[in-house]
Amino acid sequence: MFTQVLINGLLKGGLYALMAMGMSLIWGVMNIINIAHGSFIMLGAYATYWLFSQFGVDPFVSLPLSMAMMFFLGWLVQKYLINFVVQADIFITLLLTFGIELLINNLALLFWTADVRKVNVSYGAGNFQLLGTTVPAVRLAAFVLALLISAILFYVMNRSRLGRSIRATSQELDAAKLAGVKVGNIYAITFGIGTALAAAAGTLWSILFPIDPTMGGILTLKSFVVTIIGGLGTMLGPLIGGLILGVVEAVGTNWLGSTYENLISFSIFLLVLIFMPKGILGGRD
Amino acid sequence: MKKSFIVSGVVVAVAAALPFFLGNFTLRSATDILIFAILASSWNIIGGYTGYASFGNIVFFGLGAYAAAICMNNLGLGFFPALLLSGLVGAAFGYLTGLPILRLRGHYFAIATLGLAEATKALVQNLGITEGNSGMYLPIPSLGIDASYRFFYYTSLGVLVILLLATWLLLRSKLGYGLIAIREDEDAANSVGINTTLFKSTAFSLSGLFSGFAGAIYAYQQGFIKPEPVFTVASTVKMIVMAVFGGIGSLWGPTIGAVIIEVLSNVLSAHFLVIHTIFFGTIVILVILFAPKGVSDIFRGRRKVGVAYFLENIRKNKV
Repeated sequence: MFTQVLINGLLKGGLYALMAMGMSLIWGVMNIINIAHGSFIMLGAYATYWLFSQFGVDPFVSLPLSMAMMFFLGWLVQKYLINFVVQADIFITLLLTFGIELLINNLALLFWTADVRKVNVSYGAGNFQLLGTTVPAVRLAAFVLALLISAILFYVMNRSRLGRSIRATSQELDAAKLAGVKVGNIYAITFGIGTALAAAAGTLWSILFPIDPTMGGILTLKSFVVTIIGGLGTMLGPLIGGLILGVVEAVGTNWLGSTYENLISFSIFLLVLIFMPKGILGGRD
Repeated sequence: MKKSFIVSGVVVAVAAALPFFLGNFTLRSATDILIFAILASSWNIIGGYTGYASFGNIVFFGLGAYAAAICMNNLGLGFFPALLLSGLVGAAFGYLTGLPILRLRGHYFAIATLGLAEATKALVQNLGITEGNSGMYLPIPSLGIDASYRFFYYTSLGVLVILLLATWLLLRSKLGYGLIAIREDEDAANSVGINTTLFKSTAFSLSGLFSGFAGAIYAYQQGFIKPEPVFTVASTVKMIVMAVFGGIGSLWGPTIGAVIIEVLSNVLSAHFLVIHTIFFGTIVILVILFAPKGVSDIFRGRRKVGVAYFLENIRKNKV
């Protein structure tokens, strides 16, 4: 019984990790808290839904496509909106992304209505037995894919020229400028990568759970929680934070009841913020 | 100085005379504006003067609303004792949570307050005394219909005037100078002997006091409260947008912002029922881009306002 709860928690945790990865990247590099993050997750989920229901494209196949679309949208948003205020007071960027969230969510409500939808893949209910526990196959696939995408991101950030430029911009803005890094472009690309990661999370979410235009709000908050638990400034932070949140939620709701899910996650969030504000991994300043 | 006193007096007198000219529906909208003006001005104390951008101030409003409901239903108190207690609940909550949370700075403080509001909402949704998600009813005011509209208008106006007076006094006190010093440079403030922890917590607690009052008025006027509308994050953002729009760190700014934004959003929702939130989102984006210092900066008249003014705001903070 307990192993089953643990497995469920870990599998959901992988998805949380993927969700938070984009937020953590944007926050770490540009010092922007993207309130619209959940809206991009929602858009990713809807891209998958429409490709599936209109053209019959399998979600796992359409994943790169919805990521590419959201990369482009994110790039546009940063390049033509956020870049203009990125150096202002912190709550200015917060409010701006909130305005973007309002706009996206309500446009989605207008065009797609508030109906709850679901991507019903034929293999959705498949599962297998492992060490006396039931492992849902799709959740496991989503989990593995989340890890794979994290690994790719890890590689890009640490080994590629683009990754070096992003890290340079994040560490020392003026020096990066002097060294010839086009900061505005790097910011736009970073934001695009962040929204593409959100879209990936949205795609996987849409296979597992019902979706609607307002689903993003709570996912933004969950991404905050994961980012804070893991700690900013490391690539491993969101991964560890996501797995911890997934397991703690699963164990906690199993014990107290599912209505306590949010109370549990926000309480951990506050405790971590107060007692170890740099997160479990304690990223460098 | 004298001139601004006279202007303020005239504004308050006009506001006090309004119920004699307005119908009940308009008066109700005016009361909503006053409640938002109280919230935005309370936010201004912690966010504007102290420089700690709280994204969870709605928590005080929600707690005030629930405190009023519990005082009136479970303790059988009258409205005014309940109002007073609701404010005190907000103040105490602000002080106690402020001690640990106000040690965080910048983004960390902003999202900690957001988390605090969400955690409190989740708690209220699960507690027996607050009746969870089914919500609580409050006693119906034993006044006539017209009289009760006026009652809520004047109570809100009274609280707002007291809040503005308190803020005015605050700005002339040691506490107020301390808060502004903290906003400008907290480490320097600390080094000249300002007890920053005490000052910041007091500011947060003042913010909580008046937001708590607003919650109690809202709850009694509404007659029914639920966790979702009274703890909605979007309302925190609305009060910040009002403060930014009017001018952060100015006495009347948040009130002016509340009037403009509420009137605008009422007009928009009357004409475009479905898409008024889309308009609101657009307004937020435009204000942040072009007038981040608020309308009070424009009306202060120190410089010419033209295309150049708006472009300058954009140029300054871009990469």
